[in-house]
Amino acid sequence: MVNKNKEEQTLMELLALSALEHLSFEDEQKLAQLLTKYPEFTKDEFTKTTALSQTSFYLKDDTANETLPNEVRKKIIQSYDSKFNENNNVPVFTLNRLFKSLLKPKYAWSITFMLLVGLSYSMIMFKTYESNHRYLPLKRMVLQNTAEDLLQYPWYARTSDLTLIKGNVIWSNNKQKGFITISGMPINDSSQNQYQIWIVDPIKYLNPVDGGVFDITTVEKDVIIPINPKLPVSNAKGFAITLEQPGGVVVSSQPLLLTAPKERPQQKI
Amino acid sequence: MGFFLELVINNLSIKGIADRRMGNTNSDHPENILTKVASGDPKAFDELIRKYGNLVWSIARRYLSNTDEAEDAVQEIFVSLWQSAARFDPSKASEITYISMITRRRLIDSLRKNKKHKLLTSIEDVSYGNFLSQKSTLEQDAEISLVIEALSKLEIQDREILSLSIYQGYSHLEIAKLMNLPLGTVKTKIRRNLMKIRDSINRVNKGVKNLYYG
Repeated sequence: MVNKNKEEQTLMELLALSALEHLSFEDEQKLAQLLTKYPEFTKDEFTKTTALSQTSFYLKDDTANETLPNEVRKKIIQSYDSKFNENNNVPVFTLNRLFKSLLKPKYAWSITFMLLVGLSYSMIMFKTYESNHRYLPLKRMVLQNTAEDLLQYPWYARTSDLTLIKGNVIWSNNKQKGFITISGMPINDSSQNQYQIWIVDPIKYLNPVDGGVFDITTVEKDVIIPINPKLPVSNAKGFAITLEQPGGVVVSSQPLLLTAPKERPQQKI
Repeated sequence: MGFFLELVINNLSIKGIADRRMGNTNSDHPENILTKVASGDPKAFDELIRKYGNLVWSIARRYLSNTDEAEDAVQEIFVSLWQSAARFDPSKASEITYISMITRRRLIDSLRKNKKHKLLTSIEDVSYGNFLSQKSTLEQDAEISLVIEALSKLEIQDREILSLSIYQGYSHLEIAKLMNLPLGTVKTKIRRNLMKIRDSINRVNKGVKNLYYG
C-alpha cells in the first residue's frame, strides 16, 4: 500500500514535470512504465490545467498590457493569406484540369493506361503488404490500435555504451505480430554482422525464439523494424537484441545488447 | 446536493459548461470564432487575432527569452490555430481553453527548440492598449474562472512558484535557485498545487454533469 502510494506520487510528479519541462531520458522511461501500470492516467494529465493556469496568470497580471505589434499582426495575416491561397487554389486547379482532361477524347487512352498502371501497382503493393518494409509506421499504428492483447515494453541497455538508446517493443500474441522502435543504435556493417531480435516465451520454449535480423543504417531518426518470429509465440514475456553473424543464428551465445522485459531490470549497468 | 451545485454554478458562472453539455452551444455561443475560421471565413481569422492576439503575445513575451522568439512563436500559434480550428469541439472545451492549450504547447516547443531562457528582467518595448474590457471578457469563461479562483486560494509563495514555472517558463532548478528553496520542495509544491487546480476543475465539471444527467 505504501509502495503504491509512493508510486502514484512519483507518477504525479513526473506527469506534472512533463507538462512543464522536458523530461530526462530516465524520467521518460520511468513515466512510460508507470503509465502502463496505471492506465487510468494519461501523459496529458496536467496539460489543460497548466494551459488554463498560464492564461489565468496573464489575466490577473496587471503588468501584462502589451498589444500585439502591428508588424507581427501583418506577418501573421501574410502567412495566413499565403497558406490559405495555397490550400484553396492548388486542389481546385488540379481537379479542374483533371476533369477537363477526362472530358477530352484524345486523352482517354493515356488516362486508361495510367489507371491500369495504378491498379497494377496497387495490387502488387497489396499482395506484398505484409512482407515489404514500406508503411511501417502505419502498420505499427494499426497493430497498436487493433490488438486487444498488446504488450508494450521499453528497451533497457545491457551495456554501458548503449545507455542513450531509446525505443520500445510492441507485440500481440494473438496476431503474432510486433514491431520494435529504436533510435541511437550504432550502425552495423551488414557484411560482418547483423542485429537479431529474440522473443522470450519461457513456458513454450527453452531458448528464445528468433524474431528476425535487421540492419541499422542511420542513427539520426527512429527506426521501425517488424518482428518476424520463426516459431509461433504463445506468451511473450520479454524481448532482446544481440549482434550476430550475417543472417542470424538459431541459438545465441552473444551478449545481450538490449532487453525489453515486462519488469524493469534490477541490475544497473 | 442539487442546491449546492446550483449555488456553485451561479457563483462561478459555469452555466456555460452546463449549456455546452446540454448541447446549447449555438444559441449561447454565437461568437464562436474558431468554427468560423474552420469554415474558411477569412474575416474570422482577423477577428481571432483581434480577440486573442494580445493574450497570445503577452504570454509569449513572458515565456520566451526575446522578442524575435516571441514573434516567431506567435505566428506559429496562429497558423496552428487556423490549421487545427476544425478539430475544435465547443461541446468538449471552450474556445479560450482550446486556444490556451495550443498556445502553451507551441510555446513549450519553442522554448525547447531555443534551449535558453530569459534572465529576470522586465519586459521592454511595451506598447500599451486598452485591456481591461478585453481581459474581463475572457475572465468570464467558466473554466478560467475556476482556475483563477483556485489560484487565488493558494499560499502566496506557492502561487509565485507556479507563476514562475507555468507563466514565465522557468525550470524547477531555476526556481529553486531564484527562491532559495530545495529542488525537492519546489517539485512537491508544483505537483500538489497543480493537483489542487486540476481537482477543482474536475470536481465542478463532474458536479455539473451529475446535476443535469443524474
